[in-house]
Parts: sequence; structure tokens; C-alpha cells
Amino acid sequence: MVSLRYAWNELRRRFGRTIVTSLGLALGVGLVMGIVGVSEGLSDAQNRVLSPLGSVGTDIIVTRTVAATTTQTTTTTTLPTGNPGRGRVGPGGGGFFASGVAGFGESSSEATSLLNNNSSIITDLAKLGKPGTKFTHDFLVPGTLITFPAVAVTDVAKIPDVTSAVGALSLQALHESGTVPKITATVKTGGQTISTTMKAPTLTTAQRKAEGACIQKLLVKNYGGYFNRTTRPAGASGAPSGPGAGARVFGGFETNPAVLKCMTPAQISYQEKVLVPEQTITEYLNPPTTNTATSTYTVAGVDPNNPNTGLITKAQLVSGTWFTAHSADEVLVNTAYANTKKLKVGGTLTINSASYKIVGLVAPTLTGNVSDIYFALATVQRLASATGYVDEVLVSVNNSSNVGTVAAAIKKELPGATVLTSKTLADQVSGSLSNAHKLANDLGGALAIVVLLAAFLIAGLLTLSSVAKRVREIGSLRAIGWSRGAVVRQIMAEMLGIGVIGAVVGLGVGVAVCAIIGAIGPSLSVTSTGLAVGASKLSGLVNQATTGTTTLTVHLTAPVHLATVGLAFLGAIVGGLLAGAAGGWRAARLAPASALRDLG
Amino acid sequence: MTDSTNPATTDGSAGGEPLYVLQSVERTFTKGGVSVHALRGINLTLAAGEMVALEGPSGSGKTTLLQLLGALDVPTAGSIRFAGRELENASDRVLTRIRSEEIGFVFQHFNLIPTLTARENVWIAMVPGSLPHEEQVARASELLRQVGLGHRLTHLPSRLSGGEQQRVAIARALANKPRVVIADEPTGNLDSETGLEVIDLLSELRDVAGVTVILATHDEEIGRRAERRVRMRDGSIVEDRAATGILS
Repeated sequence: MVSLRYAWNELRRRFGRTIVTSLGLALGVGLVMGIVGVSEGLSDAQNRVLSPLGSVGTDIIVTRTVAATTTQTTTTTTLPTGNPGRGRVGPGGGGFFASGVAGFGESSSEATSLLNNNSSIITDLAKLGKPGTKFTHDFLVPGTLITFPAVAVTDVAKIPDVTSAVGALSLQALHESGTVPKITATVKTGGQTISTTMKAPTLTTAQRKAEGACIQKLLVKNYGGYFNRTTRPAGASGAPSGPGAGARVFGGFETNPAVLKCMTPAQISYQEKVLVPEQTITEYLNPPTTNTATSTYTVAGVDPNNPNTGLITKAQLVSGTWFTAHSADEVLVNTAYANTKKLKVGGTLTINSASYKIVGLVAPTLTGNVSDIYFALATVQRLASATGYVDEVLVSVNNSSNVGTVAAAIKKELPGATVLTSKTLADQVSGSLSNAHKLANDLGGALAIVVLLAAFLIAGLLTLSSVAKRVREIGSLRAIGWSRGAVVRQIMAEMLGIGVIGAVVGLGVGVAVCAIIGAIGPSLSVTSTGLAVGASKLSGLVNQATTGTTTLTVHLTAPVHLATVGLAFLGAIVGGLLAGAAGGWRAARLAPASALRDLG
Repeated sequence: MTDSTNPATTDGSAGGEPLYVLQSVERTFTKGGVSVHALRGINLTLAAGEMVALEGPSGSGKTTLLQLLGALDVPTAGSIRFAGRELENASDRVLTRIRSEEIGFVFQHFNLIPTLTARENVWIAMVPGSLPHEEQVARASELLRQVGLGHRLTHLPSRLSGGEQQRVAIARALANKPRVVIADEPTGNLDSETGLEVIDLLSELRDVAGVTVILATHDEEIGRRAERRVRMRDGSIVEDRAATGILS
């Protein structure tokens, strides 16, 4: 039995008490919402930063990275010897991707090889023109990621639960302009004579006898039987002059025209002499830095036929269109790069005297593989002489719960591959965002509880005080026949009402607190060693190949989630009921006799 | 008063038994190790339909006796029979039920609930009962009309005079058709003229509805209006006699 009318009148006509008590609850709940909001905001920020994957419809990224040190955890596999038939061995030549980067599997020698390739790519500026002439050239070089044959893409696509697998290739580009240098080095090569000896065809017995007799006759004539002795005279071993000086024992013999006469024509034709022709190679060594201006930018190749998965997606288009049927001659440009270079949709980009039409501007996600210029994959592969090669596979999975199993399947299918999921990325995060998130989770949770308990305590004390002031009223109720339980329920009902008011007001306070936090928006940085996929963010060339560290800054917001709202509501009501219970407990202890002469 | 269904008129003396029988009632309060004997050996019998005045100076035990008669408290020793039931060992639940159904209270300070209107203050006493809400409200209005406050139904206590507040309290005391109305210094906060009006109202109640009225007072004038006067001193009854004054 609870009189709602009575409760309503109590709340309405004791307005001050109602407001003070419910405001106490509201403040507590609002602060808790703020704390929860910050925690949620940090979670969101972390997810936003760490999910280059999900944000572009990609659940898993498969890459190969260069391990900088042995302690780095990303890749520790050894060079696999199996599966030679998969074509994972790099091509024998043509392009700097080839040698030393032998498919999946990595060793320190591979890493060294990649670095060597990177540092020696600018080989011969002399090829760009005559010394003294001006040149402009774009060199495309790989980033931190090792390329691998695109067959891996189809391999991954065959794994169950994989909805799509798209290959991509990200490159560093070096734009060099200057004057072809005159510093040359001349190297003289050749001039050596190389002799080879080959086995003569087998002679018939008659031929051998005839030849033997012929030579015997010759020897008797020239050396007077000396030939029959077992050791040679010192004079015969002296360096003879003339052709055949290198062939010591039989040299003079074989080339002696007299001897030749004894030989069969077949034997004579097996004699061979090779003379390496002399030549002079002029090569321009290290390009001089004094006259050469270098700027870097990043390019990436994406699958024009897959507008929904990949490094960029159609959804990230800011203006213009996606690749058309003429994708080979088209590029998409990052808005940030377009702004600095004043590039516009419809404009033209010239790279190594080939023109590309800018069909669209894109805003890639904050993280992941952010490049300045996006080509069709085939174009980049051609520019980098890496046809058929990609350096990452972006995989989308039919259901997020299958990400783990698919990742494991990819690792099994492609031994040595680095398989990144949002979870593995999250594990590699450090920096203030991560710290703040941890803090918000740990300390924030405790703080929220303390604030809530304080609010409950205040409400409880206010209720106790209110009950104490209503001793006569409550005693009278008991006197005129209200049971102990009825009085307690009545006070609980009032406090429930205060809890509801506190919840509503608290929601307003909480939303305001969250809005204020969002407006102030403190900056947080995040550093991830795992974001090697974001290699193109890095500006150097060789050094960064060993770092693979990305730092990003995000602004903190405090979103109000429905669950938070529900929790806040519940919190205020529970607070009200707890306070009501305290007041009710106090009221229940009042003797009904106190109604008479209570004030003495 | 036109209360036709007052139970006191039917079974208050059904078995010829008095409404109250108190035997050797003691009430001792212990606070901080000090015992105060508020009542010492009270023997008292009250018949249904009586109007009794408890008189005596402050601290004589009037209020303590009223608390026992009103089933608000139980004695530390002795026995109280009320309408055939033993109160001294009754549980809080039983006492509450007796208070709700058979006893009405009028307090010196009126003890109206300040956030409720006059009608709601009368109605609130019926909330523990089983009457439908509409009938409760209707009865509350009717009772207020009977005490002359038909025009004050929706006034808050703070908008009513002392006499009016006490009339509301009397209407509330009658809400559940009690056998007994217990009034503790009902005129203590009223001027003498208004006080007499209130006493007249209580007297009329007794006459018309047959309700037993027990009131505590230290006003001789008021005491004279009762037909039986019980004088107390130091927790004991020192005088118990029929009133010699003129009943109005």
C-alpha cells in the first residue's frame, strides 16, 4: 500500500528538499556519465586509430615486414623451404624487388638485401641525359614492406569465410631533379686471354700409329731422341716465347706447325683460343647531392575493380569519381597531398613523362596505409618493375567472429606472413591514448564508484535528516494506523520519485559534461610499433624501413551511449531507493508513541 | 453527528464488559541507566461511551497513560484489556491494526501532514483500510462537512486556523469509525473560546455516535465538561470521580 498522491505531494510541496536531494543524485550520476563517457571516448579513439582495418572494410592485413631487430615480434620466422611450386621465389631479374627478397620467410640477409636494394637503386644518372643537362625523374622504391607474388591474394581468397582479398602495393617515391653530373669514373676491363682445353676425338688404331710415327720422326729430327727420357732438361722448361706461352708442356708442341701436320683435321679443329676484347665503361658514381633536389611522396596501387575493399574505398571519396575503365591512366589523390600540391580533380599528374588524370580526391582513414597518390595496382607494379607483385593483402571476413580463425588459416597457408588484425594492432599500442585509456578504465572505474557512492551517501543523509524532521508526521501516521511497512514503503516511494528526477536531471548533467569534454577535446597521441602497415607515413627512405613506428594524434570525445544512459538512470534510481531504505529504516525505528508530546 | 454505523454502539458493551480494564499497570522508562517510573500501579476501568478527562500537572503520567490506552505503547508490568483483548503482549502488527480500526487520535499540535490538504489529511487515515479510494475521499469530505469545514476541503493545514486544524484532526480521528477517540491536550494550542468549541465537538461526538472520548488536559474548565475526571500525580491516580461541572 503506497499512496502515490501523498508521495507526489511530498515531492511537490517539499520542493527544496526534493531538488537538493535529486540534484545530489543528478550530479553523481552526471559525473559518472562523464567518466564513463571519457572511458568510452578513449575506447572509441583507440578503435578509430587502431582500426584502419575495419574502417575500410578490411578485417585482416597480410604483410611482410622487415624486422629491424631480433627482438621485434612482428616476424620471427625462418625462410621456408617448402612449397617451391607456389612461385614465392622472386624473379631472377628486372627491378629492385627481385633479388634477395625471396617470397615469404625472412632472414637478416633478406633485410640487408632489401636495404641494399633501396640504397643502390639510383644507379646511373648518366642514363638520364648527357652531363650538364637538366633532368627530372621519379624513382619508385619500396617502403618497409616486402613484396610477394600476387598469387598469395588468390590463396587467401580461397580460405573459408573470406569474403574478399585484395592486393595492394605501397611505394615510396623520390622525385629528383637536377643536372646530370659530370663526375665519372673510367674503368678499363678486358685484354685477358682465356684458353680452354678440350678432349680430342678418339683416334683409330691406324690413325694413332700413323700419327705416332709422324711425331716420332719429327722428334728424332728436332730433339735427337730426347723425348724418350723420363725427366725434362732444364732448358726445355724455360719460358718459351711466342704464342702458346701459357700451354707449357704440350703447348709448343700442339701449335708447332710441324706437329700439326701429323694431326688429323678433327683434332686441329678442337683447339680454341679466347681473347676478351678490351673496353672502357664510363659510369657516374654516387649522384652529387649539391645539384639534385629530392622530394618524397608516397604512392600506392589499389585494385580499381574493388571499390569497397582495399587501402582506400569508394566511400572515402571526397570529390570526383572512382577509377573508370581507363584506370591505367588515372590516379586518386589524397586530399591532404592535393591541398599542398594544389592538385584538383580533372588535373594532370606527370610521372616520368607519363600523364595521369586526377579523377578523384580521397580522404583515407587516419591510419593504415596512407599514401599521397593512388594508382591502379597494375600501373604501380609497372612503374616499379614489380608486375605481379603486391606488398599487402587486405582481407575482409564474412563475420567478425571468424577473424581469429581466418587469421590462423592465413598464417598456415602463408608461413612467415605477418597477419594483422585489429586485436593484434591493439596489443602493440602505446602512447598517451593507451595510457589514458588504461587510466580511465582503472582509475575511472574506481572514481565512478566513489562519486556514485558519495552521491548515494549525500542522498541518504538528506533523507535521514528529512525523516528526522518528520518525526511527528511519521509518528502520527503510525498512530492513526499506518503499519511500519507502509511508512517505509511510503518513504521509498518518495525517494524513488527523487531518484527518477535525479536520473532525468543527471542525464542532462551527464550529456552536458560529455559535451564539454568533447568541446575541450584534449589531444591524445598514440604510438604503435605494430603499424608497420602504415609505412608510407614515414618520410625517410632507408632508415624508416627498420622502424615501422607510427604516432598519431586524436582528439578525445566523450560519447553518450545508450548503455551509459541506462546505467545512469538505473544508478540514480538505485541511489534514491538506497536513500529511501536508509530513511525508511530510521522511520521504522520511530515509536508510534512519539506522536504524542514528541516535542516535549 | 450522524454516524449510524459506529461499532462502539453495537459491541462496545456487548458482553457487558467494560471497554478498558487496567490492572496494576506500570510503565518505566529507562534512559542512560536512569529509570523513570511514569506509571505506578494503575487500576482503571472505563466503560464504552464515557467521556473521561485525565487531569494533573505536567509529568504526572497523563500522556503515558494515554499512550497505553491508545495502543501506542505497552506497559512494563500489569495488564490492559481493550474490548476483550490483551494489549500488554500484543505485537506491533496487532496494535497497529487496533489503532487503525478502533482508535482515533487528536493531538495537541494537531499533527496534520503539512503537504496534504484538509481532505487528504482525513483520507490518509483510511489508506491502510480496504475502502475503495473514491469512497475514502467521499467519506473524508463528508466528515469535514460534519466538523464544519465543508468549505476548506482543499486547503493546506498552513492555510487553516488552529481551531480549523483541530477540527480536521477530529475528522481524521473519526475516519475509520473508532470505538475510542484519544485526545491529548486537544485545546492546548487553542485560545479558550476555540478550545471550548473543540470540546463541544468531541462531546457531541460522544453523544451522537457513542464514541468513547478520553482526553488529557490541565484546564479545569475543560475538565468540568467531562462526566468523569481522573486526577493523576506522580504516575498514580489520586482521584477518580464523576464530574461535578455542568455539561453543555
